[in-house]
Amino acid sequence: MFIRRRTLLAASAAITVASPAIAQNYPRRAVQLVVAFAPGGSTDIGARILAAAAEKDLGQPITVVNKAGAGGQIGFTEVARAKPDGYTLGFLNLPAVNTIILDPERKAMFNVDSFIPIINQVLDPGLIWVKGDSPYKTLADLIDAARKAPGTLSACTTGILSDDHLAILMVQEAAKVEFRIVHFDSGTQQLAGVLGGHVDVAFDNVGSVFKRVQSGEVRGLAITDSERSKFLPDVPTTKDLGYGTVISSSTRGVGAPKGTPADIVKVIETAFLKAIKSPEMLQKMDAVGLALKPMVGAEYARYYADTQAQAKKYTEWALKQR
Amino acid sequence: MDALHHLLAGFAAALSVKYLLFALVGCVLGTLIGVLPGLGPAAGTAILIPLTFSLDATGAIIMLSAIYYGAMYGGTITSVLINVPGEAASVVTCIDGHQMARQGRAGSALGIAAIGSFVGGTLATVALVVVAMPLASLALKFGPAEFFALMVAGLCLVVGLAGNNMMAALLMTVIGLLLALVGVDPVRGAPRFTFGVEELYDGIGFIPVVMGLFGVAELLLAAEKRQTHMVEAELKSWMPTAAECKQSVGAIGRGTVVGFVLGLIPGVGAIVPTFMAYVLEKRVSKTPERFGKGAIEGVASAETANNAYANAAMVPLLALGIPSSPTIAVLMGAFIINGITPGPFLFQEQPALVWTVIASFFVGNVLLLILNLPLVGLWAKLLKIPFSYMCAGVLIFCVIGAYGLKQSLFDVWVMLGFGILGYLLRKLDFPIAPAILALILGPMMEKSLRTTLEISGGSFAIFLDRPVALTLLAVPVIVVGFLLFKPRSLAPLREGDSE
Repeated sequence: MFIRRRTLLAASAAITVASPAIAQNYPRRAVQLVVAFAPGGSTDIGARILAAAAEKDLGQPITVVNKAGAGGQIGFTEVARAKPDGYTLGFLNLPAVNTIILDPERKAMFNVDSFIPIINQVLDPGLIWVKGDSPYKTLADLIDAARKAPGTLSACTTGILSDDHLAILMVQEAAKVEFRIVHFDSGTQQLAGVLGGHVDVAFDNVGSVFKRVQSGEVRGLAITDSERSKFLPDVPTTKDLGYGTVISSSTRGVGAPKGTPADIVKVIETAFLKAIKSPEMLQKMDAVGLALKPMVGAEYARYYADTQAQAKKYTEWALKQR
Repeated sequence: MDALHHLLAGFAAALSVKYLLFALVGCVLGTLIGVLPGLGPAAGTAILIPLTFSLDATGAIIMLSAIYYGAMYGGTITSVLINVPGEAASVVTCIDGHQMARQGRAGSALGIAAIGSFVGGTLATVALVVVAMPLASLALKFGPAEFFALMVAGLCLVVGLAGNNMMAALLMTVIGLLLALVGVDPVRGAPRFTFGVEELYDGIGFIPVVMGLFGVAELLLAAEKRQTHMVEAELKSWMPTAAECKQSVGAIGRGTVVGFVLGLIPGVGAIVPTFMAYVLEKRVSKTPERFGKGAIEGVASAETANNAYANAAMVPLLALGIPSSPTIAVLMGAFIINGITPGPFLFQEQPALVWTVIASFFVGNVLLLILNLPLVGLWAKLLKIPFSYMCAGVLIFCVIGAYGLKQSLFDVWVMLGFGILGYLLRKLDFPIAPAILALILGPMMEKSLRTTLEISGGSFAIFLDRPVALTLLAVPVIVVGFLLFKPRSLAPLREGDSE
């Protein structure tokens, strides 16, 4: 018994001393970044650029692994259930994570607490766009047409309960109109749908189509944010147009499974923050139209909670309409 | 002709030593990726993207595109030799290709696949040069309604795969559709038939199922017969004979057209053109009973369609910036990371780059042919390895491939389970191809129907407003009518029938 107590004492001392040592030993091998969407899409591209840049600061390779499916649910579940040792990180899309949790039919195996939000990378504001030669020249035109023919104008999203979907619901609420909502799986499908004349308007994000807006192939009607996008300075915001309550964007950042030790989280945060603040990152992200908005620690945690609250309201509304 | 001028300039650039080397490396890597089962072109291309970071934009695209259609060819090799589809689109090649190998004609099969791929790819690229923009815009008119109709028409082609036992074929089709339901509802996101098994959220997993039904089942059958070699017959020839080439001319021609047309439509995927080309070939053949037993036209049509599709799929990508399939989406992502956003403005902003890339498609096709034809003999020699080693080797190969998909043992169990199922089905003489076709087309059919109904607000009348969709939907109606009312003796009724 004497020996056991001493051993216990020694063991606990060792663990207390070892914790920071564990963090100092991290990372000792490659780290996986799980992206819950298909390769080649906006999310994936942002993630790959970030991974390539942060590798240098982290000191170990960061491998991007795509686990697409079910609007991100497959990938998020994977991260939630991963070992919290810092070697599996997740690329978290908000509000995708939130809406999956809030939809009971999806039977999500994770909840808000399953992830530790570490650092946000991108804030991609929503963009409402139509074909370049569409009869709707402004958002007001679109809303007028929608009022005259309730439930006939079709608006497409990149997925059910995606930020695009929530944006449509916000517009419906603010402008008192009703659209026919069509769900595609990706921005490129939306392109095919709208350019082919099958759908009237698309709710998407700046990063996916900004080049086409710049070239005139498609026309941006409004940005669902409070400030204009530096990529599309001529497109008015919903706030400019009098719909200040319609604020919706897709944010993507890095998170870890619950239970990852705090010092490891700190190492990750430092490395990624350095990468995000680097000029090469800015250059690469500018080229693909993704606006950087780094958020760490308490700020990100608060944003996470706020997004959950906002998503809750519109998700419940969407579910009632089913 | 402005385009021709640009193209010639493109050739001059593409044939530079540097770009030739990139194309060559891409073809080799692509073929290797295609040979390794489980590592499909999408995953393989994604893994190789970092390789291209150090290259200039044009070089990167040339290499990545070469990897892409190299992978299309690579899948053929394992399909023919060991009945394991190297990647999804090679499934159809297994049907006749492996049978040809069993008859000692592996060389002919691989050879005609190389030749057909070359012809299909080159002709598709020529068509790309000539009609890229106008065709691409036309293809956009193909919306969800037309897509659904195309899928239904495609599924009815199952009739062409039926062989003798129509009932069995239809049963297998339904089983394929049922298997396709497992996973997550494509519109609502709710899990379906997953029985709480988390690994099933993404569906049963097409590649493990196919590797099991074809590859593992083949091993079990061969083991049962106590074969001494994977393929008993002596290898007759390393190349297709002149007669076989002549036989395949029509197949190659038709395969090119089918592959090219379908490659223009975004979302079709590589497997559909191969199936359709195969079934079309069987329909027009004067001796359809040879199909499934080693008809060279079967291999020629499928492989040609495959490559024609791969090259044609570049049209929506380059002309409109819309990727046709997941693999092309990866390619597009790679382009974007390298600073090039495919789309209509690309032709105006960077014509030199686009035309160099197009020129390199031609070059790539030639390179593939040169690379693969001489190697055919080498690949075919693999069949001389004694069966005991081959069997163990192929099984390990398959298990690694299945595991490598998602690092999940579950996929391995699925493969083995379907391997046993495939063995039983073969013993019972049930055709497997209809199940595969249904497994692929089912989800696409469902998603496009539901999107169509979302667009129409729930009304089926949308089909009446769309002539193309209506025409395509007439196909299954005709087919079903023919099946139901087919009189015993066809001969006197052959002319003047409602078909």
